[in-house]
Amino acid sequence: MSNDIVVKVETVSKKFCRSLRQMMYYGIKDIARGTLGIHSNSDRLRNGEFWALTDISFELKQGKTLGIIGPNGSGKSTMLRMLNGIFMPDKGRIEIKGKVGALIEIGAGFHPLLTGRENIYINGMILGLTKKEINDKIEEIIAFADIGNFIDSPIKFYSSGMFVRLGFSIAVNVRPEILLIDEVLSVGDLSFQNKCLRKLAELREKANAVVFVSHNLEHVRNLCDKVLILNNGKQIFSGNTDKAIVKYQHLMDQKRLESLENGRGFELVGHISSGDIFFADSGILDKSRNKTDEISVGDELVVFFELEVKKDIKDIYFSLGIHNEREELCIWHISNESESPGFSHFSKGIYRILARIEKPNLVPGVYTLSFAVRNSETKETYERLIKYKKFVIKGNRISRGIVNTNIEWSMLRN
Amino acid sequence: MNNERVTIYIPDKQIKMGMGIWKEMFRELIKSRELTWRLFLRDFNARYKQTILGILWVLILPIVAVGIFVILNKGGILNVGTIDVPYPVFALFGITIWTLFASGLSSASNSMVQAGSMIVKINFSKVSLVVSSIGQPIVEFLVRIGLLVLVFIIFKTIPHWETIFLPLVLLPLFLLTLGIGFILALLSGVLRDVPNVVVLATTILMFISPVFYPIPEAGIFAELSYWNPLAHFITAARDIVFKGHISNQPGFIWSAIFAALVFFASWKIFYIAETKIPERI
Repeated sequence: MSNDIVVKVETVSKKFCRSLRQMMYYGIKDIARGTLGIHSNSDRLRNGEFWALTDISFELKQGKTLGIIGPNGSGKSTMLRMLNGIFMPDKGRIEIKGKVGALIEIGAGFHPLLTGRENIYINGMILGLTKKEINDKIEEIIAFADIGNFIDSPIKFYSSGMFVRLGFSIAVNVRPEILLIDEVLSVGDLSFQNKCLRKLAELREKANAVVFVSHNLEHVRNLCDKVLILNNGKQIFSGNTDKAIVKYQHLMDQKRLESLENGRGFELVGHISSGDIFFADSGILDKSRNKTDEISVGDELVVFFELEVKKDIKDIYFSLGIHNEREELCIWHISNESESPGFSHFSKGIYRILARIEKPNLVPGVYTLSFAVRNSETKETYERLIKYKKFVIKGNRISRGIVNTNIEWSMLRN
Repeated sequence: MNNERVTIYIPDKQIKMGMGIWKEMFRELIKSRELTWRLFLRDFNARYKQTILGILWVLILPIVAVGIFVILNKGGILNVGTIDVPYPVFALFGITIWTLFASGLSSASNSMVQAGSMIVKINFSKVSLVVSSIGQPIVEFLVRIGLLVLVFIIFKTIPHWETIFLPLVLLPLFLLTLGIGFILALLSGVLRDVPNVVVLATTILMFISPVFYPIPEAGIFAELSYWNPLAHFITAARDIVFKGHISNQPGFIWSAIFAALVFFASWKIFYIAETKIPERI
């Protein structure tokens, strides 16, 4: 291992078993093989097993922070557990230089009937401190946890906030050289979260390296020098943080799209039809007018509808609505409001209707289309489709809210 | 940075051949002694926290058990033949020794499973878990020794001065308990049947071991006791207190050697196989 590399992971894979019965059988077998010194053949899948992680490789240099992001079940926590030596890899090799400390779950090992003070000693020792080290640090730990007189009460009387504060306080005061953190920043109130972030910044300066698993992209952006993206146990990206975040957001949008559509062309969330007009197809079009599921932020938005009209109809108009993920209506237009050439009559036949919005000004995210054909005189509805078609506006999702704008900041001091 | 220890994780735990592995095992045991002690204190402190009778529960169990056997004995249902001391003293002594073994096995076999959530979240010495789980049975044993002293006084039984060697006589029993405990702790991590089997097995073993009766001269129980190291340990402990010497010395020594072998072999198996447990617990 070269001098400045402190964590080195080489083509590491890990398998798990789906069935409890087979797991018990394999478990006994593996223990027996280990006892007899026979190679466990862990690199091969047995019946009922699957790879939870495959061929993960990365290196972490001294003083750097690595973020691991990925959807639920992508193998992030398994990776962290292997780095901590809780699980052994089934393939590959992990090398780590220095004392490893992990914040995998706060308060693991707390005994509910014992007091906070007693639990500090137990938890501290489980995390690898000696009694003397704990004696030196206990005041600091109690002060950081900030739970007042409760420190001498049994943990079972703690609120969940106090529990977490005590656990975090012990864990951060262990001062490891390599720090592994799993999603722990999402706990506690805002002021405690900020306190934790400050503590972690301090720890990062002292620690040789940090590996950080999170769903919170803000934290990842602020804390990490390098990011690894996992999806279904595979490493799909490793490198620069900003690039990784864009890629991850894209991945998540795709995933959401897939799960919403369930493989069908489109899903009719709400559909009201008079039977006079039959809805054939719809979607959005890219620059070259091909059907697509996603456009980039800043692109024009072109929506098309194909309708099969069964009989002649007069005085029609269309409405188009676009909702965001939070079900808020972002855009709504009707066809008789604008200067568009009038098309108030349908005769029998198939029609393709295009709606072009030059600057949708929407923040990146997943959106849904709604569409209706109505009669402007009688207000009767011929065809109405509510939130039926999903599409993605790609982009770096820094801005929140609804409208995508440009902003210039300046500061003056009087 | 160069002189720092590099930890390597690969599929099969690197097993040093020869004496290297023993050195590592002892180093781990010594390094984790504070943790072992702290885990023991945790379990001990927590055990009787939400109870009114507290540690008295330790005494209630053997008193009830011995009471039943004393009644059976007085009623002539249980005939134990000739013994050197009053039957209550004999029986209480037997069950005190026996419980050290039985409850030691039971807590060791539960130790890994009970700490399951901790094992999958924190990397720490699992040997500490098993060793510390034997602490509670030892404390209970010491409390029961206090009860035993009281019963000795009531029945005016005077132990021989050789009783001071009792800890030495009990050492093989302790090693055997811990040794089997290591294996059971491993197995119960994978198979939850183990703790149930332990309860069943120790109950059966208690009746075929000379706990409430002395080893008979002949017959199937004599034959069983000959091959039963537990029988030798219990009898040796009784002999040293009641007679001042061990009557069946070869039996005791062979059993002690057997116990030591079981202990070291099991410890090594535990050390090699412990990394297979967290993902399955």
